[in-house]
Order: sequence, then structure tokens, then C-alpha cells
Amino acid sequence: MIKSIAPSFRLTALAAALMLAFGPACADDAEVAALTTPDSSVSVGIGNWSKDRPQQGVYDGMRDSDTYGLFDFDIRKRDNATGTWLGLKARNLGLDNREIKGEWLRQGDIGGSIEYSRIVRDAPYTVNTGLQGIGTTTQTVGNVTPGAGRNVQLGTQRDRITATFVKHFGTNLKLNASFRNEEKEGTRHYGRGGSAEFLVEPVDSTTRLLETTLSYTSDKLQLSGGYFGSSYSTNVRLITSAGTIANGGSTTFFSSQPLDNMAHELFLNGGYNFSATTRGTFKLSYSVATQNERLPTADVPGLPAAGAPAYLDGKLETTLVEFGLTAKPLPKLSVLANLRYRDFSDKTPVQQFVFGGTPMFYTPFSYRNTVGKLEGTYRLNGGYSVLGGIEYNAQDRTTPTPAGVIRVPFVRQLDNASYRAQIRKSMSETVNGTLAYVHEDRKGKGYFASGEVEENLIHPLHIADRKRDKVRGMLDWLPTEKLNLQFAVESSTDKYGNGPNGNPLGIQKGTGSLFSADASYQIREDWQLRGWISQDQSQADEITIGNGGGTQRKVNMLRETGTSFGIGLNGKVSDKMKIGGDIEQFRNINKYNQTLSGGATQTAGTITTPDITSTLMKIKLFATYAMRKNTELRFDLVHEKWSTDDWTWNMFPTTGVTPWAYGSTTDGTTVIASPKQESTFVGVRLKYKF
Amino acid sequence: MKKTGSAILTLITGLTFALILATVPQESAAAEKQRKDMVLKGDANCTRCHDESEEVPVLAIGKTKHGTVADGRTPSCASCHGESDTHANKPADAKERPKPTRVFNRKGNTPPEVQSQACLTCHQGDPQRIHWKSSMHSSQDVACTSCHKVHTGHDAVRDKVTQPQVCFTCHKDKRVQVNKPSRHPVLEGKVSCSDCHNTHGNNPKQMVKASVVETCYTCHLEKRGPFVHNHQPVTEDCGICHNPHGSTIANLLKSRPPFLCQDCHGTTGHRNQAAGVPTGRISATSSTGNNTAGRGCLNCHTNIHGSNSTQNSATVGRFRR
Repeated sequence: MIKSIAPSFRLTALAAALMLAFGPACADDAEVAALTTPDSSVSVGIGNWSKDRPQQGVYDGMRDSDTYGLFDFDIRKRDNATGTWLGLKARNLGLDNREIKGEWLRQGDIGGSIEYSRIVRDAPYTVNTGLQGIGTTTQTVGNVTPGAGRNVQLGTQRDRITATFVKHFGTNLKLNASFRNEEKEGTRHYGRGGSAEFLVEPVDSTTRLLETTLSYTSDKLQLSGGYFGSSYSTNVRLITSAGTIANGGSTTFFSSQPLDNMAHELFLNGGYNFSATTRGTFKLSYSVATQNERLPTADVPGLPAAGAPAYLDGKLETTLVEFGLTAKPLPKLSVLANLRYRDFSDKTPVQQFVFGGTPMFYTPFSYRNTVGKLEGTYRLNGGYSVLGGIEYNAQDRTTPTPAGVIRVPFVRQLDNASYRAQIRKSMSETVNGTLAYVHEDRKGKGYFASGEVEENLIHPLHIADRKRDKVRGMLDWLPTEKLNLQFAVESSTDKYGNGPNGNPLGIQKGTGSLFSADASYQIREDWQLRGWISQDQSQADEITIGNGGGTQRKVNMLRETGTSFGIGLNGKVSDKMKIGGDIEQFRNINKYNQTLSGGATQTAGTITTPDITSTLMKIKLFATYAMRKNTELRFDLVHEKWSTDDWTWNMFPTTGVTPWAYGSTTDGTTVIASPKQESTFVGVRLKYKF
Repeated sequence: MKKTGSAILTLITGLTFALILATVPQESAAAEKQRKDMVLKGDANCTRCHDESEEVPVLAIGKTKHGTVADGRTPSCASCHGESDTHANKPADAKERPKPTRVFNRKGNTPPEVQSQACLTCHQGDPQRIHWKSSMHSSQDVACTSCHKVHTGHDAVRDKVTQPQVCFTCHKDKRVQVNKPSRHPVLEGKVSCSDCHNTHGNNPKQMVKASVVETCYTCHLEKRGPFVHNHQPVTEDCGICHNPHGSTIANLLKSRPPFLCQDCHGTTGHRNQAAGVPTGRISATSSTGNNTAGRGCLNCHTNIHGSNSTQNSATVGRFRR
């Protein structure tokens, strides 16, 4: 008996001792493991939108009033012994814009991933048309009474597959590679081109991107070089449209499309740490892009002139050379110097394509930018610092040849000088902020007149002489431990000169401003309140020539004012239940003030452009209930309300606003954009975490 | 009796032994607990005090790549925060415990450049980060941890769904613009800020590629051309006509035709017409009154990004074929 008791005693005693000694430690280990193991989750649910939402559902795959499956997962596993990750992540599996990604990685050694993602874009309106052949390259314009055609929904989808690979060779060398293949299909709103007639552009193209990079890293030297290739190929090269509408004696139109093109780029980037505070960097790259496809219209009998080339032989070369230096010559002074040279050179041969009337040639545009930048930051006491900088961008623009091929004025040289001054307060527990002032001065030289007398009165907005003043301030303030306030203010003014040749017309002045305030307040440990408000304004003042030419003028004052706000609350009702919600509203008012002078008149059959007001309100509420430690039930309620009086697709007869219709007696296509949209989403999901 | 006495004796002996065993190892376990690393090599010095009850929980770093100890490159606490000797062992004469050598928030008096340097020690060689020190963010005292959260299994800025909210923290104007009617699918998590911007680099406007057009071509490659008939601004900068962050005008246009187009164009004929919405149907064969409603000037000039037509007609050079 004793023999039988003894072992029992020893085991019991040992067990008690072990339990007392190691029991808590085992519990700690389990807790630590839970806190340090990568999270995984699966979410399954169902949701319903009560009404169609053409404007808000453009991209999210839930445009229509319908019930949708909600299925996401994110599984991440790691083998701690080898540092090997296995990941599988999916989002929106129940929707059109689904995506899924698989990843395997032995960290620090080798790995790869593959991802599929679809991006949908449903046009936010419905087209009613008699056009036949939609989706194909041969279409026929059919005349219908407005509204008597068939309804067509246009849209595109991109199916994208991305694969990546990484391999480390020792501690210094790493190879990265990525490849992306995107198939884009669908239909896009288009025009016949001869006149305002409805046509649909079929989309059926493939985009491929390949990038490989070999990187070398040591304490002092970092180098990264490789290859980047891109290609575009399409099955839509020419759209032929026939119809009964006569225009210039022709009833068949040939609309050219973008053609296959590709580019190859070699690049090398590097950095060298001369010391702990001094670093030099460089970039070198060279690329060639080509477009050598046979031009489809060359094969249409009678369309091109005799002798017109059938190939463009397009060739674009881009060279980039850049050197940079950052240093701290004094303990409190940091300086940055950078010199950048980029040469975009169009090497496409200048060939003549149009021989009748005004001869037309291929028009190459080349730009050579040399940019120098010098910036210094001096740190003062108390966390303050001041920054000053200057950047000069000298751009040489190749003059198009032969003369007369351009239709707007041009400049051979465009220089932009930018000066920045800034004061900043940082590293404070209560108040941080910055106030910056930027002045820019852009000037064109070497004026080059166009072949059009009246257009020579215009200074095009992107090359016009311009003085820009911009002020930007930000303040981050924590008055108490629980309250955080943030303010942002921006104001900018662009004043345009008369252009390099005294051109008086075009944009005269542009201004922009933004005021934004954010606040967050910790009501209790588990309850947060937040809110924000923004007001932005932009305006452009233009003077353009009137319809009769000469001294007739149109003075346009275009204004856009946006007022937006959001308020949100979330918190913990109990150990198992959390709730929250946000209300957001975005409101924009566009004003199109146009004053006619000098005898200029409003176009016959039109009225001046009314203002446009658009408002979007979103109310989002949620509640989660923890059924178990790792199982959660989530309820969502979203209410959207969108309204606009945008007249883009409207006509304004005295009898009331109606959908805009193509043509007076022919075509008859109308576009119906719903001005008011209101819909509610109710969803429930079960989320399991492991 | 003998059995009972023996059992009692055995029980007392056993309990005594267990008590001794339990007591002695418990002290050892406590000591072991003090010494034992929880996640990273050498973290016991830190995790003896810092755990999940901290204001900023630390253990979740174990869920991340930084917590994968099988990778020999994985840092220790000291790799990023410094040895922090006086923080770990408060000097007797110190009233308050000194802060770690490097603290990754604004409360720690660690300059942003020093904070970022801790990350660059390992990440400077990444192709996208070689030029960090001359980037706009760096010169604005933005540290890596201003955007990135290291001690969490979910770094919001590295998730394309949540990334924009991180960027909106400073870029308030973009928060409004992405909610305008014409926009990229940012809110849906299909296009993220970092698809276009390399915030760690120094390209103009922090683009991922060397220029705006090259960045746009990564998704809109059909615009690259070259075309038989080029539209000059298209070859230079998409931003001349488009606002990629959002617009109240279709196709992300900065301004509505004909206002936008007449900033460069306007000569005798329909190009000088005032903007106006039609009061009724207008002849399709007339340009009069067709420059504002619908697609505006693009009702006819439909190939505005360039034309590849070789038709022997001036209309092709005006992007109508």
C-alpha cells in the first residue's frame, strides 16, 4: 500500500508545487501570446440599400437599390520559428469591386504576393438614345424623339492583377520585382466629333507595368537601380459611325483612338552618408517611350491625303539627373541643397499629315527643366525654428516647328522663382504650429505668337506671367489632457500679368482660401466626441474676347464656396457593446458670373449660366456587440442624401427645366441625371477574430 | 490507525514539501519574469514596467514585422528608443524619471529628425526612402511616427482604406475635395494617397514618379501618346486642367468648359461664344450654343487628349476625330 501511495503522493505534491509555482506564469504566457500574435478575422454579413444611388454609388459596387453580401477576411499567420508569414486578405467579396490578396514571406529572405482587384465606375446618369452598336467600334446614330430611345448605362471596370516578389541576398542586397496587368473594359461617354452628336467609346485595353529594383544598403552607401517598363495595348483603334446627319457632306465619321504604346526606363538612385549629419543623394534615369502602331485611318480609302504617313514613329526620351545634399553645418542649422535636371524630349519626326487647307504637321513639345533649391532651417530655443528657402525652376520649351502649327501663344522659356519663409513651433506638449509664407514669380520669355490674330491677345493660364502669394498656418493646441484643437488657415492669391507680349486677355486673378477647425474631446475613458468644420473658397477672374471679336469682351468671375462639417461620437455602453456615429455634410456653391461688354451678346438660344448648389449629407451609425471574446456582431445604418441643381445635362425652356437633348431635329439622345438622391443602408455582420 | 497516521504524515510532509517547492520556485519565477523577454530580444528591461496597460500599449509590436524575432534584422527596444539607462534605472537624485533616449511623440523633446533617424538606420536604403531627408515632409518636421504607428497590428497609414484619414490630419482641404461629385475612388479604398504620392521622396509634388504626367500614366496610359495631333498641355502637366483630388465638375476638371478652354482659346467664330445653357434643342450641326451644356466644348472636341487621325482635314488637329 505504501508503495502505492508513495508515487501518488509525490506526483500530487509535485503537481501542487508546480501549479503554485508556474500556474500564473503559464497564464501570463498565454496572455502575452494573444497580445503578440498577428490578428486574423473573418466577417460575413448582409446589407441593403433602400434606393438607387447613381451619384454616391459610382465606385462602391452598390449603385442600385438591392441587397448585397458583405464578406471580408484577413488571415495572417506567422511561424515564429522561421519568421514565415502567410496572409490571405479579401475585401468586398460580395460586391463588384472585390479584391483578394495572398502573400507568403519568409521575412528577411524571400517572399511574394499576388492580388486581384476590380475597380468599377458606373456613370452617375442614364442615357436615353437611339444609338446602335454601343460597345462596338461600328455605331449608327439613330434619330429618336427625346426620351423615346432606350436607356443605357455606361461604365467601366478595371480588373487588375498585381504580383510582387522580394529576395534578400545577405544583409546588403535586395531584389524587388512587381508586375501589374490590368484589363479595362466597358463604355464611356463620347462624341462623334463632327458635331455635338452622341457616341459611345468602347473600352477594351490592357495596361502592363513591370518594375524590378536591385538595392544595396550599407551604413554609408545606399544604391537602388533597376528597370521600369510600361505598355498599353487596345482592341479599339478606330470607331466608325454612320448616320443620317449630314455634316460637310459626310455621313460616316472615323474617330481615332489612342494606340498601343510602350516605355522602357532604367534608373539608379543613391545616397551616401558622409557623416552623421551630412548626406549626399543622386537620381539618374533614362526612358524611351514609343508609339509605332499603324495608324488606322491610313487604311480608310480617301480619308488621308496622298503621301500622308501611315506611321507616326513616335519617340519620347526622358532624362533625369539630380544631386542633393543635406547637412548640419552648425548644431542648430540644417541646410538642404538640390539640383535637378529633367529633359523631356520629343524625338518624333515632324511629318505632314494634313495637306488640304491649313497644312498640319506633327507638333513635338519638349521641355527641359533645371531646378535649383536651397533651404535652411535654424532651430531656436523653446522648440521654435525658422525656415527660409528659395527654388528656381528654369524651363526651356522647344519652339514647335514649322511656324504656324500652334493655335495659342507660346513661350520658349518659362522661369519660376519661389521663396519660402516659415516659423514653426514643435515638440511642445500643449501648442504646436507653423506659419508659412510663399511667394512665387513666374515669367515667360521668348514669346512666340500663334497663327491666330485674336488668340494672340490671350495669355494662356499655364504660361502666363504670374505672381503668387500664399500663406499657410496650422495650430495644434491641447488646452487640457482631454481636449485637442486643431486649426488650419490657408490663403493664396495669383495675379496674372499681361503676358510676355502684352496680351491682355485670359485669366487675370485667382484666389483661394481655406479655414478648418477640428476638435476632439475625451468625455470619459471610453467615450470620445469629435467635430470639424471647413470653409473653402476659390475664385478665378477672367477676361475673354466676345463673340463678335474686336473690342467685345466677356468678364467672367467664377466662384466656388464650400462649407462642410462633421461631428461624431463613439463609446462603450458596456463591456460587450460599443456604439458610435458620424454626421457629415458637404455643400458647394458654384457661381458663374459672366458680364458681356463692348457689344458682346449672349449666344442665341441660350441663357446665362445659373449658379449650382450641391449638398451631400451622410449619417453613419454603428453598434457592435461582443457575443464572445472573439466574436462580434456589428450593425450599420447609413443614410445618404444628395441634391444638386447642376444644369450640365439640362435645358431651360420657358416651360421648365428638361433633360438636355442632342440636336434640334436629329439624334435626340438625352442624359438623365437625378438631381435628388436619398438612400438608406442597413447592414449586419458577424465578425470572428482568431 | 497506522495507515491513517501514515497518510497524515505523508500529507503534512507533502504539503510542507510543496510549500517549500512552491515558495522557492515562485521567487525564482518572479525573478525569471523580470528577466524574461516577452517579444523582442532584451525587452525584459522594458516590459518589466511597460505592457498593454500603458497609454501607448507596447506588446502589439509582436504582431508586426518589427516583432518577428526570427528575422535577424528585427530591432530591440533599444534599437529605436536608445539604451535609456536613466529611464530604466532612475537616478537617486532625480525627482522625475528621465525619459527614454528617444521618444516618438511630441512630448518627449526628441527632435523629429532624430526620431526619423532611428527608422532610417534600417529603412534608408529602401528605394522609396533614399531621398527622405530632402523630402517636403522631412523639412516640415514630420517624423515617421507622425504618420506611422509601430506598436500596433494595424498601422492605419499602411492600409489603403484608412490611409486617407491619416493624411487628412494635416491636409484638410483634401478631406473635402475627395467628397466632391467628381473624384477618384479614394473613399472606397480603391485609390489611396500613396498610389500617386511618395511622401518619403522628393519628387515634385511628392509624386511617385518623376513628374505629374508620368504618375498619371501608371493608370491612364492611353494619355501618353504621342499622338499624331498633340494637345500641348496634355504633354506637360495633367494638373493644368484637372484637379485629381476632386471637383464639382465632371472628369475632375478645374473649371467648366467653355471657361476653362477660353483661358487659352478664343478667336473669331464659335470659340468666342459666351457660356450659356440652351433654352431648347440646338442643331447638332451647329457649334452655336453647344459649348456649355453636356460635355461643353468636348461635345465636339471629343479627342481632347490627342488625336491619331490622318484624315486630310483641319478638324482632326482640333481633336474632333
